[in-house]
Amino acid sequence: MSSVKQATATGADTRLQSHRHLSDRAIQNIFIWPTLILLIAFNVFPLFYSLYLGFTDYSAIARQAPVWVGFENFRSILNDEQLWEYFATTGRYAVASVGLQTLLGFGLAMLVREKFKGSGVITTLILVPMMISPVVVGLFWKLMYNPTFGYFNYLLGFTNPATAPDWLGSRWGGQAVPGLALWAVVIVDVWMWSPFVMLLVLSGLNAIPEYLYEAAVIDRASSWFQFWRITLPQVAPLLLIAILFRTIEAFKSFDLVMGMTGGGPGTQTELIAVNLYRQAFLGQWRTGRSSALAYIILIIIIAVSNLYIKYLNQMRGEG
Amino acid sequence: MASFVETGPQAPVTEAIRVDKVSPRSRLTRTVRALIVIIVTFIGLIPVFVMGITAFKSRADVVAVPPKLVFKPTLEGFVYLLTERAVLTQDRLAEAQAHIDELNWMQRIALENGQEITGPSDYVFRLKNSAIIAGVSTIVSVGLGLLAAYAFSRFDVPGKGDLLFFILSTRMLPAVVVTIPLFLMYRQLKLHDTHLGMILLYTVFNLSLSVWLLKGFIDEIPREYEEAALVDGYTRLQAFFKIVLPQALTGVAATTVFSLIFAWNEYAFALMLTSERARTAPPSIATMLGRGGIEWSAIAAGSLGFLIPVVIVTFALRRYLLRGVTFGAIRQ
Amino acid sequence: MLKKVTYLLVLVVAMMALVACGGAAETGGGEEAAPAEGGEEAAPAVTELNILWAQWDPADYLQQIGNMYEEETGIKVNIIQEPWGTFGDRFFAEMAAGGDAWDMVIGDSQWLGQGATQGHYVELTDFLVGEGIADTVTEATLTYYGEYPTGSGRYWAFPTEGDADGWAYRRDLFEDPDEMAAFEEEYGYPLAVPETYDQLMDIAEFFTRPDEGLYGVAIYTQKDYDAITMGVENTMFSWGADWKDENNNVLGVVNSDRSIEAVQFYRDLYECCQVPGLSNAFFSETNDALISGQAVMIMNYFAFFPALANPSINPYADVTGYFVNPAGPYGDQHAALGGQGMSIISYISPERQEAAKDFIRWFAQEEIQAEWARLGGYTCNKNVLQTEEFLNATPFNPAFAETMNIVKDFWNVPVYGELLEVTQRELHQFVVEGVGTAEEAMNNIAEEHDRILREAGLIEE
Repeated sequence: MSSVKQATATGADTRLQSHRHLSDRAIQNIFIWPTLILLIAFNVFPLFYSLYLGFTDYSAIARQAPVWVGFENFRSILNDEQLWEYFATTGRYAVASVGLQTLLGFGLAMLVREKFKGSGVITTLILVPMMISPVVVGLFWKLMYNPTFGYFNYLLGFTNPATAPDWLGSRWGGQAVPGLALWAVVIVDVWMWSPFVMLLVLSGLNAIPEYLYEAAVIDRASSWFQFWRITLPQVAPLLLIAILFRTIEAFKSFDLVMGMTGGGPGTQTELIAVNLYRQAFLGQWRTGRSSALAYIILIIIIAVSNLYIKYLNQMRGEG
Repeated sequence: MASFVETGPQAPVTEAIRVDKVSPRSRLTRTVRALIVIIVTFIGLIPVFVMGITAFKSRADVVAVPPKLVFKPTLEGFVYLLTERAVLTQDRLAEAQAHIDELNWMQRIALENGQEITGPSDYVFRLKNSAIIAGVSTIVSVGLGLLAAYAFSRFDVPGKGDLLFFILSTRMLPAVVVTIPLFLMYRQLKLHDTHLGMILLYTVFNLSLSVWLLKGFIDEIPREYEEAALVDGYTRLQAFFKIVLPQALTGVAATTVFSLIFAWNEYAFALMLTSERARTAPPSIATMLGRGGIEWSAIAAGSLGFLIPVVIVTFALRRYLLRGVTFGAIRQ
Repeated sequence: MLKKVTYLLVLVVAMMALVACGGAAETGGGEEAAPAEGGEEAAPAVTELNILWAQWDPADYLQQIGNMYEEETGIKVNIIQEPWGTFGDRFFAEMAAGGDAWDMVIGDSQWLGQGATQGHYVELTDFLVGEGIADTVTEATLTYYGEYPTGSGRYWAFPTEGDADGWAYRRDLFEDPDEMAAFEEEYGYPLAVPETYDQLMDIAEFFTRPDEGLYGVAIYTQKDYDAITMGVENTMFSWGADWKDENNNVLGVVNSDRSIEAVQFYRDLYECCQVPGLSNAFFSETNDALISGQAVMIMNYFAFFPALANPSINPYADVTGYFVNPAGPYGDQHAALGGQGMSIISYISPERQEAAKDFIRWFAQEEIQAEWARLGGYTCNKNVLQTEEFLNATPFNPAFAETMNIVKDFWNVPVYGELLEVTQRELHQFVVEGVGTAEEAMNNIAEEHDRILREAGLIEE
């Protein structure tokens, strides 16, 4: 590491530089192309084949050629009020679960940032919920939430099933409480994925150069100032990547909900991806229409992601 | 603390410098913090704990009201998990009970439930498939992702923004919809129900996360650092391996864990694109669902056995996962 | 921005090219795969038959039947089991590719329309009728498991596993002298197995005692796929209502007064007496409700009752009784159909199709059907169903045999999936979520069913 100090002292050797430039380009290609080729090979066909199907009347199981119908599928989807309701539910779900994950994940990361005895083990244990298969998570939370033999109510102190909340049924003591089931699903998602946010934030926290804090100490800056001016801006890029991926997943999530509520009661937890699955499989096999719906979901995800990315780039530019 | 020894002299996070550590309240706050963390962790682990005890419960105990914390443990769940069984008819049941001494413990547990063991289940075989597929795909996706992330971070790649967006967009389309085209494509390419097919699929699926995440980490490593090395006569490759890679280990560890978790747990594609040879464990856990009731203990036992390998890997990587990228001193 | 547009355009062009290739490749592949398979097998020597079914006990029993076949003929029979939740998805995905992974499938009665009209199944009319096999099974099962379109006399499957909804109940509670006295005092008639739904409601109310952790019923409410529709059907059919009339008309049929009354009844039953937490319940949950001692009466398919008769699973096994779906207030009595028929996949070689027919011919023989029933399979064979041996084999077989004479089914047309989505949504909304009225729910279902059926050309203008 002695080279570090020389770096500023040594002048640029142009001849060497140009030679290196060439090999840099080669390296660049060698580094990037395998990834791109793999992604193109495995994504372009499914991606564009399903885009094409979005413009057709087609059922994958019918063994009849797709019939081109233009924008018919898109028109019928955009006019379907039921679907807009599902989009709204998905929005609420995404905001609630990603918001809570961010808060909880960030808070946890701040807490475990300072090492204490056994903190390594504890931090790893926090990650365990994330490691369980989503299928299994859905199953066990259904068991947990059961108002009679489940542990969730029991541990919360609701030991009488007659007056306890029935989380997945959106009822409390016999009264309907709309939205309870959606919250129950959000709780599980937050439980499972807050560790993801925590781990990324923690890496970001650990990467903050010490000298920034040292300078702050010399300036006698308050802890509050340090948090807003140093910690948060420095962690923001990784935090945003975490939020970006969680948001994408929230729009796509269906297995957890399908396993726990099947979209019910009524349509209270019918996320758009759940409905998409219903149309694409489950006896319906409306491949054309579901492809169109998937692309509408995709466009929404792209729009949301673009917002994040713009923000991310802005922050990087400043940092 | 062991990591400090490992990372050597460039890692002196001199503890006294941190503001919160000079503060007189530090000791108390630190204890309170640790306490809060421990409490939160334990609350978070309750469902895992429930899974653990469910694995040792009998069928009737799982659905007992109110839920039981004290019960007579049984290995029924594990027997169900590891064997195929058939229900015995009355006369054959009596016959089997007469010869109970000749049976091993598994057969006895099955007999208590009126069943005989007809053979081992697929569980272990599928666990092996999971290990091969998830392991290889994780290594490949992290490796490729690291290279691409470095190139995107350090070079002025033409169309960088669009390429990165393309990479990300491959993760955006709901999986439900690509399943059918993928299914058709895999049959054409004869990748259906092969290890290679699943490895490629999971690699591709994880690449977008891997590139984006690692680029985030590499961006954080100051360029000056490797530029200095280049000037010093290192080639680009040497600089990458000797300087960037060690600094990016946290990112590599985090990406490895995330990719592994995804590939290990993936269910929908595995279900559609595999049938026998390459089928992984998650679909087989779900198969224990319905035979006229949910075999909770078997599902719990299977889930537990399936969770442990990932936990072990994560614990093994823990040192890197939680270590800071400590290049603060360099900029001084 | 402009750059992004160009980028998109390039991709769209690439897409068109790929679609062209993809389409060509797709049609090529289907034909390519079959002969390759056939060539390998070298004409008539079929040594193995693969039969796809759901993952459950009857599939294990069928495997034993398959083993008998192997002993007799040397042809190995593999029953390939897929979990219920994904059985349909797996099967149809393979059919989408024209795959020959399986020679036969034991498919849901609802699949008949898709299997027949989309060419996945081999038509078996000549085989079943011509060889007299059709006469060996009960009429109802032949219609529901084999015929498409209904009433056409064309058959696509051999009725293999008969099944329908029935009820299991706690005999110990019904026969408890104190309970009997208290019940008779309150309701004015003796406590016994309910013969009408009104009686069932009385009994359910009587036994619903939250303080004791005891509830009247556990009925189907699952929203995923078809469960709540199957549950509600039990009341609808017994009220004399149906999903359609002879001409496939639904308006005024689905939302008839009787139908609305039946749905209202189902909701009342759910409100008053359902075990708490069963807002998304199907066969495993209702079974569990009885096993855990919470429910006095549970609705379930007969095929799931063996678990309840097994003392190591159900602590109340010795005191669990079974009864037929009760009659409605107007004297009609029906039960919702489950069960499956065995169909031959059309994408296998003619030799394999013949081999598959050989298996069905062998399997349909009375002594094999008797063995099938002995193992625990629900035979559809007329004679076997009548034998003393069958009726005494399990505590629920008598109720099963009676039920199989009164079964009715949901739609089996190719668009049944779309029809189901509507019923699942509306019924779950009304029964479980408690929103709206029965009339609104059934009107919505009728209107949407009418639209879907018209679009599919199943209702003529």
